[in-house]
Amino acid sequence: MTVGPKARAVDTDSDAGVSKNAGLYVHVPFCSAVCPYCDFAVKKGGREKVPPYLAALRRELDWLAERARSSGPGDQLATLLAGPFDTLYFGGGTPSVLGEEDLAGLIQHLRGVLPFAAETRLFFEANPEDVSPASLEGWRRQGVHLLSLGVQSLDDVALRLLGRRHTAAEAEAAIRAAREAGFPTLSFDLIYGRPGQDPEAWRRELETAVALRPDHLSLYELEIHERTSFGKRKARGAFRELPEPLQAELFELTHRVLADHGYEAYEVSNFARGPEHRSGHNQKYWHHVPYLGLGPGAHSYSQDLRWWNLRDEPTWRRALKDGLAPIEAAETLEPEDLALESLMLGLRTREGADLAEIRRRWGIDVVAGNAARIAAWIENGFLESIPELLRPTLKGYAVADRLAAELELQGRASAAQVAQLPVL
Amino acid sequence: MDNIRNFCIIAHIDHGKSTLADRLIQATGVVEKRDFRNQILDSMDIERERGITIKSNSIALPYTARDGKKYTLNLIDTPGHVDFSHEVRRSLMSCEGALLLVDASQGVEAQTVANLYLALEYDLELIPVINKIDLPSAEVERVREEIDSDLGLDPYGAVLCSGKTGLGVEDLLEAIVTRLPAPSGDENAPPKVLIFDAQYDAYRGVVLYVRVKEGKIRAGQHIYLMHTGINYTVEEVGISVLARVPTDELGCGAVGYIIAGVKSVRDITIGDTITDTDNPASEPLPGYKEAKPVVFSSMYPIDASDYDGLARALEKLAINDAALSYEKDSSSALGYGYRCGFLGLLHLEVVQERLEREFDLSLLLSAPSVKYKVKLKTGEWVDIDNPTYYPDPSNIEMAEEPYIRGSIWIPERFLGTMMELCRDRRGVNTTFSYLAQGRVELVSELPLAEVLFDFYDRLKSLTQGYGSFDYEITDYRPTRLVKVDILVNGEQVDALSQLTHEDRSRQRALHYCEKLEETIPRQQFKIAIQGVIGGKVIARTTINAFRKDVTAKCYGGDISRKRKLLEKQKEGKKRMKMVGSVEIPQNAFIAVLKTDPGK
Repeated sequence: MTVGPKARAVDTDSDAGVSKNAGLYVHVPFCSAVCPYCDFAVKKGGREKVPPYLAALRRELDWLAERARSSGPGDQLATLLAGPFDTLYFGGGTPSVLGEEDLAGLIQHLRGVLPFAAETRLFFEANPEDVSPASLEGWRRQGVHLLSLGVQSLDDVALRLLGRRHTAAEAEAAIRAAREAGFPTLSFDLIYGRPGQDPEAWRRELETAVALRPDHLSLYELEIHERTSFGKRKARGAFRELPEPLQAELFELTHRVLADHGYEAYEVSNFARGPEHRSGHNQKYWHHVPYLGLGPGAHSYSQDLRWWNLRDEPTWRRALKDGLAPIEAAETLEPEDLALESLMLGLRTREGADLAEIRRRWGIDVVAGNAARIAAWIENGFLESIPELLRPTLKGYAVADRLAAELELQGRASAAQVAQLPVL
Repeated sequence: MDNIRNFCIIAHIDHGKSTLADRLIQATGVVEKRDFRNQILDSMDIERERGITIKSNSIALPYTARDGKKYTLNLIDTPGHVDFSHEVRRSLMSCEGALLLVDASQGVEAQTVANLYLALEYDLELIPVINKIDLPSAEVERVREEIDSDLGLDPYGAVLCSGKTGLGVEDLLEAIVTRLPAPSGDENAPPKVLIFDAQYDAYRGVVLYVRVKEGKIRAGQHIYLMHTGINYTVEEVGISVLARVPTDELGCGAVGYIIAGVKSVRDITIGDTITDTDNPASEPLPGYKEAKPVVFSSMYPIDASDYDGLARALEKLAINDAALSYEKDSSSALGYGYRCGFLGLLHLEVVQERLEREFDLSLLLSAPSVKYKVKLKTGEWVDIDNPTYYPDPSNIEMAEEPYIRGSIWIPERFLGTMMELCRDRRGVNTTFSYLAQGRVELVSELPLAEVLFDFYDRLKSLTQGYGSFDYEITDYRPTRLVKVDILVNGEQVDALSQLTHEDRSRQRALHYCEKLEETIPRQQFKIAIQGVIGGKVIARTTINAFRKDVTAKCYGGDISRKRKLLEKQKEGKKRMKMVGSVEIPQNAFIAVLKTDPGK
């Protein structure tokens, strides 16, 4: 992406190597079919749904700008909109449902109304079936820095189970073509821990994946969410999750194989061949860097406020058309909430949870009340032994949620105030 | 006195007692139809929900009979469960007559017979009432036969009615007037007034519900409670017509209430006799029996800071529940609590439910135990109802456990199944006799400990709901008693210790180990759960360490959700009890203690 007129200097947090500039997320909710495992805000549909959606996005930007103007400087939203933004992420759903013209128009519009940094990186999710020489060329032309392909599996049987519309061969071809197209970072997603999956088959699939030389991989262990098709099957006993020991084995295997091939697990499910290939946008989520989410179901965060949009695309669109807030709810985050999030997120990353930073940013001392616990975790091999840092080992990664839950935070236990737009 | 009738309704559970009582109240015009809350006498939520009357209660019904005279009909409601037979007794003592209610489709049941015997013990005049005659399944003739053969009452004196439709209720009111005797007694004698119930009123102190047997009682009178030996001054007397209505006096034969500045029900005992301080009766009314708890369990607040709340709640409940005993207790696993005594498991459940609902407490209960008699080698006998105080086995000469005489009424086709159940529960001297129409009464001598748990449920399910059961405690008999302890990673969980018959010990220990295995979440290390007697392991299960607990995806939208999950998890941890280094959730105790090892 080229430099916008309102560009500002890049501000980088030297500790974690994560930029402190805000991130912008645009949710494109449409999918030709909804995958049985998917718990995101998605809507069945294709190109025909795009024009009203794009119109609504513009309304959303107008609405936000108006809101920020009326609330004045210092307000969470006004501060966030003041930018600068240095990442722009198109996620979904299926962003590749957008034609090049639509994408170009949208980027241009965003650039016109929001301030971007000089070095702004563009992230784009695409389905393998939408990959073609023309589409790749278009995405390159629009300045996509990281292309992320929703491959999900390199096994045809698994792809059918997961409800995907492409074959393994098509996925591999798409990855190769994208590789050829020369994106600075090429990434794809795989889902493992599928019913009936054995470690040996998964190892072969992983070997195939790394042989395709992606710069980045997102490897997610399958999770069953209640409101999904898998979730409903599970509720009636028709879906068997893998037993926990096998899940653990697959998790460890994944990390070992990736490490052997020179990929760093910079997060529980994310692997990069070198720090320059990390997803700089996603890292913002994990370090409480402000982000603005546009589109149905998108989440935004600024200072001590997080809010999220109406999840259903038509509802979100209708609200904007009626001049109403497209927002479902917001919560103000107390220092205890922010500290708990920092721990929970930090324990999922290679850097670990930075206790000095938590003390500095949120005023919460984690060591008080947890010293013995932390010492035991180091002793039992869940954490590396580094002062002021809870840096998980592989064993620690595997149980990161549990570790975060075990930590006791002084102060109020829970402070989340979910309310209808308390500040906005 | 001639225009008073004191009566109660005795019936098997579900035979429609409360509905009929409601109908009588309505028919005498005490309550307008539109104000009527069904089953007025059962005032507690639990009573309404379970359809069981727990507290005695009375109401004065004004009735103008066909002879043109005005009568006061005092209906004294009685509890409907074997656990509360002591309350039944006190209520029966206040009456001259009883309506013996029989369901027209169910016929005579265990409790009908048991209550008949009680009623006869108190010389009550009985009117058999065949209720629910509106049901399509009503078999009036068969029920008449049962009234004749099983109860030995005149089947043609039975009044037919339906509490639901009101059919026959006028006839019933008339029968109460004409067939039940008026109270007798000497109104000029020194007063003898029976306390059959007492309820605490926040504004007035304890309200005593009484039946004047001899003499009379009026406001200002100095009274003396003959068993407790305390004097009071009467502030107010009156009758209950749903609300309290003060009167000048309670004459001989009357049923009503007395307010006399009694601060707590702990200060009095129900069943006591009130007399005049200056003109006392020579002796109290006969038949006074203290209700003694037979089942013991410790209650611990899940949140230790609720301990004082539990203490206050128990005190309040005890105000209206003379049979509930409690004393301080402590457990290293569960902290401070109270060792409580109950009349039976239903009583225990009712108390637990009331504590949780009315006082908003979350409680853990230890395994219920009966009271054992243990003879030490020194020759001394000690009563043990709490495993904590079980003596060192090397000091024990022998132990005895309480036995009951259990009566089981079943259709004949379930005889084999039920005999097997009795044998399985260590029943001895099991005999049976045929009642009318293919019904059998099975009598078995069973250890009380064996019927405490799910015996009644098993009986109901094995007999498809047709069986009924009643028991009385008879005697103590020698037993082979052992104490089973549960160890979690080598640490004893004292609240799960249990006294049991040796033959039951392995089964019970394994049940505990398995339940704990199911309910204790996996932790960062392996957990061994053992059931032991002394140092000997008799059952064992293992919980493996968890290895995977991390969400795969965590991006913008997932953070709030994920944090809330963690907060929930943290909340849950507050309800965990630490035993050594192992966290045991509250539901593990509940799961273990709730179900019986029986298949």
